[in-house]
Amino acid sequence: MTEEPRLTAQDMIEQLEPALSRRTRIRAVTALPAGVAGAVFVGTLWSSEPGPLPGRTHLAFALFTVFCLAWAVYGGWLLARRVALFATDQVIAAWIGLAASLATTTVVTVVAVQRGTGWGLALAAGSLFVAVALVLTVRAHARRAALLRRMRELTGGEER
Amino acid sequence: MTDELLVVRAQLGERAALAELLARWRTPVWTYVRRMLDADRADDVTQEIWLSVVRGLPRLKDPGRFAPWLFTIARRSVTDRLRGEYAQAGERSGVGEVVVEDPAEAMVDRAVLVSVLSALPVPEREILVLFYLEDLPVEVCADICRVPAGTVKSRLNRARRLLREHLEEKGYRP
Repeated sequence: MTEEPRLTAQDMIEQLEPALSRRTRIRAVTALPAGVAGAVFVGTLWSSEPGPLPGRTHLAFALFTVFCLAWAVYGGWLLARRVALFATDQVIAAWIGLAASLATTTVVTVVAVQRGTGWGLALAAGSLFVAVALVLTVRAHARRAALLRRMRELTGGEER
Repeated sequence: MTDELLVVRAQLGERAALAELLARWRTPVWTYVRRMLDADRADDVTQEIWLSVVRGLPRLKDPGRFAPWLFTIARRSVTDRLRGEYAQAGERSGVGEVVVEDPAEAMVDRAVLVSVLSALPVPEREILVLFYLEDLPVEVCADICRVPAGTVKSRLNRARRLLREHLEEKGYRP
């Protein structure tokens, strides 16, 4: 049994780079909330436009919304299938999501109030996003805390 | 440093811990894959396994059970490549095989084992590799192969019998 793997550990780590790349993780974590926030914002503007809109304006709003959703789907796909988000990354990503949700909710509610249409719906949808982001943030912190606790148990309290 | 500690550190995002984990398990994983597949496919499949491991590691619930989880992923990748052979073996293997203590166990020598492994049907080869080459307990083998421990024992039993037949054909006597 003299056969050995041809790839060294270092070669393998290099080949795993796409899944571990910081740039890809940042792209994923940025694209998802930015896409969702953009789609919600454009959707709010579209739905709260006063008076009947010309066909070309409807088309422009629809294209903007699809564009934003495409970025959101791309970010979601990266997170689900391509990159590994470890516990610390998840905490950072959750806070980015929470900040994006709060900012989007505030902006769309202000826009809706100024236009005097559909502010209740905007606030309800925004609150839902904030609630989901909040749950994800709490879960990410709990997961990281549990891992840190386990690490301390395994090292007899030597680690931070 | 234990595997569990390395896994916990890797799950927290420490690249050095992930590299150490990979360095530690690179050869065992490759050995399993190589015993199940030809040399041409072994490197590709091993790489595919590690990619799945890296992507799945943040979701691993119990870091203490890294080895069974790792070999479950490895087995899934190997199974995908051997789907046809597994199907044939499934049709061939009988039910209700009796588990008995086998004297052939004593004569199993790793080097000889490796030389005749490729002649065995996939389910038996897989169990022999996990049990003898990877030194995993029956319960862990059962977990990895998603079969009851009794089935692992019966497959081991059948594998030893087949192995003995092959060894005797090659003129090897205990």
